[in-house]
Parts: sequence; structure tokens; C-alpha cells
Amino acid sequence: MSHSASHPAAGSPAGSSTARGIALGAGLLVLALVPLMVGASPYMLGLLISALILAGLALSWALLGNLGGMVSFGHAAFFGVGAYASALLAARLNVPVLLAIPIGGLFATLSSLAMLPALRLSGPYFALAILAYAQIFRILATELDWLTGGAAGLQRFPSLPTVFGLDLSERAGSYVLVLACVVLFALVYVVIRRSHVGTALRAIAESEDATRVVGVNATVLKTWMLLLSAFIAGVFGALNAHIIGFLEPDYAFSGIWSVMPIIAAVFGGYRTVLGPIVGAVVIYLFDQVVAKSLIPVGHQILLGIVLAVMVLVAPNGLSGLVARLFPRSEKHHAEA
Amino acid sequence: MVRKTLASATFALALAAGSAGAHAEDAPKTFTIGAHMPLTGTLARSGQAFDEGMQVAVKMCNAISPKYKVKVEVIDDESTPAKAVSAVEKLASSGAVAIIGGYGSNIVGPASDASDKLGKTYITAGAVSDELTARGLKTFFRINNNAGYERGIATLLTDLKPKSVSIIASTKEAPALLAAGLDKDLTAAGIKVTVHKFDPAITDFKPIINKIKLQDKPDIIMMSAYENDYVGIIRAAKVLKPNVKLIVGTWSLATPKMYTEFPDLMGNVVGTSFLPFPVEVKSEEGQTFAKLYKEMYKKDIEYLSTLSFVETMVLCDGIFRAAEAGTLESGGLSDEMRKTDRDSLLGRIQFDQTGDNPNFSLSMGQHRDGKIVLVSPKSAATGEIVYPGLPW
Repeated sequence: MSHSASHPAAGSPAGSSTARGIALGAGLLVLALVPLMVGASPYMLGLLISALILAGLALSWALLGNLGGMVSFGHAAFFGVGAYASALLAARLNVPVLLAIPIGGLFATLSSLAMLPALRLSGPYFALAILAYAQIFRILATELDWLTGGAAGLQRFPSLPTVFGLDLSERAGSYVLVLACVVLFALVYVVIRRSHVGTALRAIAESEDATRVVGVNATVLKTWMLLLSAFIAGVFGALNAHIIGFLEPDYAFSGIWSVMPIIAAVFGGYRTVLGPIVGAVVIYLFDQVVAKSLIPVGHQILLGIVLAVMVLVAPNGLSGLVARLFPRSEKHHAEA
Repeated sequence: MVRKTLASATFALALAAGSAGAHAEDAPKTFTIGAHMPLTGTLARSGQAFDEGMQVAVKMCNAISPKYKVKVEVIDDESTPAKAVSAVEKLASSGAVAIIGGYGSNIVGPASDASDKLGKTYITAGAVSDELTARGLKTFFRINNNAGYERGIATLLTDLKPKSVSIIASTKEAPALLAAGLDKDLTAAGIKVTVHKFDPAITDFKPIINKIKLQDKPDIIMMSAYENDYVGIIRAAKVLKPNVKLIVGTWSLATPKMYTEFPDLMGNVVGTSFLPFPVEVKSEEGQTFAKLYKEMYKKDIEYLSTLSFVETMVLCDGIFRAAEAGTLESGGLSDEMRKTDRDSLLGRIQFDQTGDNPNFSLSMGQHRDGKIVLVSPKSAATGEIVYPGLPW
């Protein structure tokens, strides 16, 4: 349970926490706009876009884990379904790309309905079930070649359009769009987290039986979180597809899309909203810029070491580490 | 005294500057070629082989050109499209005049798109999808394609006149594409074809072989797959012994490496090949490549290394021609590439308007006790095919 939830009566600390959260979020947003202001190269913007795609996916994973109490090893399924749905809608039915992307998210949400029976499971059983779903979708995308292009995939579908003079298919435009999506979904996450539903969900994550006793319909709330998480993952899958301009089953449903968001969220601290986002950006840029320049081939070993150290030193991720290094003083609370 | 010292120093500096200037004028101009290869990840083995061929080609290009030199900067694309795109952007921003592509259409597609946006010429030998040349990119070139593989295998199979052929095809992009093309070609030639698709994750091929043995009863089993799949398929066939006359495969099968590692499975098996083994290269360029490759890597030339060697040589030629014409800096490389017409270890290389090499076709080689004999087409054959011929 978070600090504010533990002391609902203490209005001042909660208000202070909100102000601090807003200030931190605004600061990070300004930081995120720096690459545009200084005219970063397409290479650097490309790295940041990939990092933000991962950030969005990590956010969707953390939402399900933190609020739904479900550990997913199959987010690749939602990511891939969103990507394929959006690409096919834009290519075959001429749906405008910016409309196809959220519809792709809706298709991912629909696909998650097939996972509802798995909500009765918990812990490793749920994780394994959702992992199996991801494989099913990959095989479907390979076998339905009349629709998906099969193993050869899709290579010719529309890229992001130009809106108000901003070419979204160019690196700077794509960056702004992906960043806006990350910010939007982070705000949605914050709103849910701070609502009564969020409190109930966090209580479910702590003890589902106890919350059922007090009349909370855990299954319904968990279902909503699964649907929302799938939608977010689907939107980022769709964005990635239109930015990369290529789709094939092995890529769209790659295990990377299931594993990397977990690593990013755990690294950043999956209990917080900003943790998964910061974690994704930090590990992606560390791996591609720092580690790759030190060890061009096999640089993943450095990332592995950093992750291992991080888990040992700060099990609650970067956000936990920051909280430990800069503890909020009681005096400050009292003053606030 | 001070004035004298200053005058001497000025003279010495002027001399040094003059000599440096003269040296700079004489020094060959060096161009950077960027390359993204899958040096880690699922395609790492292929990327490594590509890298080896490329390095030998760069050495040879530099040895024959006194006026211009090339150096190659390789980035590991980790077998991932987004990282391949980043690699292209990084290479372009660091001054690469052209990009050599990696392996797999899923990687090459997005990477060549990025290269086109940046106005950089892009060449590949590792992506056969027809979609790549249908995009109309003016900067995209490739030396091999699905049609060439299809032509090589279809020529052999139709010459053998089997009544029926069973194709075992991986659902991965290139093998699936090849299987579909062969299905069409062989059916048109009056041969009964049955295609058995399999997921790349499977390792036990006995159920498929059993089905072929009991239901299809073909004359020939054709494998459209990769190294690990070939081993699994032939091993299963050796156990179940279907009544077939020949086992045929595609890329990376008729290689000395496969015989060295699996001598009990390779006897009489046929696969696509450029050269017989022991290597018999007729052209001077090919002989130098084989010699240098052996010196550098202590082994005989490999299938993928040969592909990357050829693409790099073709690119170097284009770069030197464009540099000589003074159009390299102004985007003239793609125009020069389109004028390419040269012989190579793969045969004649030309590029059509889509950037494809219409002349690409392969020979078929048969494993014979550690040697590889070219058996098809007749014009390139170094021996007669053993037919029927099986590993058991």
C-alpha cells in the first residue's frame, strides 16, 4: 500500500505527494522534449522512440501487475494483435492510420477477452496461461496467410501521416506522437490509481480473499485492468508497426515484447507510475548507447550485470532506490 | 639570434606543411561503408559468415585500387528490425557512403527504408522476399532473390522427372516463399506436389516423414528449411526409411561444414551451391578470394561468405566509379550501381529498375564422400548425379 493510502486522513502529506508527483512528471516531460529542442540526430531520436515504445508496454504490464495483481508473461500477444490489426485496417480497408492505431488497441482488448478464463488462476498459473496465449496468436498469424501474409509478413502498409504540418513518419514527429501516448496512458494510470477503484485494486493485489469479504467484486475489477492493459499494449504495438513499416509473426509476437517490459518495469520500480517508464528509457539507452559502445558484440552481458546488481541492491527498482537515497523527512511532512 | 631562429622555424613549418599537403594530395581517399549484421541473436551464425566475406572483399578492393580505399564499419543489429534501423541511422550520420544490409527480409525491409529516406545506397544478399523490390526504392539493390533459388531447384527436379515430390517447408518467410514457388512450378510441369509446413520450433520430424512414407509415397523429398531442420528431417528419414530416391534441400546444405559435422546424414543429399568442393574456382577474383579467405579464417569459403563477398565487391566497384565521376557526394552511387554489369562467383551481376539481379540462379551440388559435385544445371555440372541416391 502506498503512503497516501496508508494515511488517508493526513491531507497535507497526500497533497504534498500530489504536488511532488506533478512536479516530477512535468520535469521529466520537459527533459523528454530536450532532444527536440537541441535537434537530436535521427539515430538518437530513433533510440528514444524505441525506448518509449518499450516504456508504454512496460506501463501496460505494470498496470496489470500493480493494480490487477497479475504477472503477465504474454504481453507480446496484445502487442502483436494491435500491430496486425492496425496495419491490416490501414492497408486493406484504408482506415486512416491515426484511427487504425486505437482500433488496433481495441482489437488487442478483444483478444484479451479470450484470456478471461485465466483470471481464475493466480501466480505462476496465470503467467503460464497467458504465455500460452501469446504462442497461439503467433501461430494464428503464421497460418492465416490469406489475411496476415503468413510467415512472409506485411511490408507495404501506410506509415504515420502528416498532421498540422508535422510529418509523423519522420523521426521528430514519431517521437512526439509516441511521447504523447506514453504521457496520456501514464495520466490514465494515475487517475485510476488515485480513484476508489485503484484503492480496491491495490487491496486485491494484497489479499484477494479479504477484499471479497468486504464486498469488492475482484473478478470484474481484474477484468477491467486486463482489458485496459491489453488496449495500451495494442496501441504501442500498432505505433511500432507503423513506425518500423514491417510486420511478421516472429517479430510482432516475439518473446522480447513479453520479457523486456517486465525487466524495464522491475528495473524502474513497477509499484510506481513513473518507474516502468524511466526503467524502460534507462535500460534501453544504457544498453544501446553505453554498453554497445563498450562491447559492440555481446553488450547484453553488461545490461545483465546491471540488472542483477540492481535487483540485489534495490529490489524495488530505481524508484525505490531514489526513495531510499532521498528519504522524505518527518519534519518536511509536518511542515507540509 | 631570435629573428634567425624564428625564420628557421617558419621555414621548417612551411616545409612540413608543404610536405603534409603534398602527402594529403597523394594519399588515397578512403570511403566508409556501413554495414549492419546480426552478430548476436537468432541469426548470429549467418551474420558472422556475412561479415567474413565482407572483410575479405574490402581487403581485395583496397589492394586493387591505388586512388581510393574503403573501410567498413559494422554494427550488430541483434537480429532486430528497430536496431537495424538505428544502425543505419548511426552509420549514415557518421559518414558512411553506402550501407550493406543484414540477413532476413524482416530486418532488411525496415533498414533499407530508413536508408532510402537518408538517401544512402543499400545493398543486400540476405533477403529474398519479392515485397522488397516491389516498394520502388531507388536506392535498394540485391544480388540474390527467391526466383533464383526457385529456378535452380526447379531445374534439377524437372530434369529428374519424378512422379511426385513432397516438400517439407518451414513456416519462416524465405522457406515458405520458396516452397510456394516450387509448388507452382512443379505442378505446372505435371509433377504431383504435396507441401508439409512445419513450425520452426519443432525438432521431431518423424510424424511428417511417416505421413510422407505412408500417404504421399513420393520419389523425392524436398526440404525448404534451415540447417537444424535439415538435420532433424534427414535423421527422421534415416530412421523411418521412406521409399524415396533423393533428398534435396536449399541453402547452407551442400557445404563442407555440413559434411564435416554430419557425415552420416549427408551422403548423396543435394542442395543449392555456387562451387564444387574441393573448391575449384576458375576466375582470378574467385581464386584470390578463396586464398585470402583461407589465410584469414583458416577454412574454405562458405556459402554466405561468398554472397557477402560478391555484394561488397559490386558495391566497391560502384563507389570507385562514382568517386571517379565525381558524383559520389551528390547521390550518384545508385545510378552507378544501376550501370553494374560484371561477372562474379554467382555469375553475371546486373540490376534492373527495381534493384533486383535478374541473372541470379544457382547450381545444385551433391554430397559425395566429403566432396560436393555440381550436378545441375548441365552447363555448370562437374559430374553426373547419383539418382537414386540416399544417405542410408
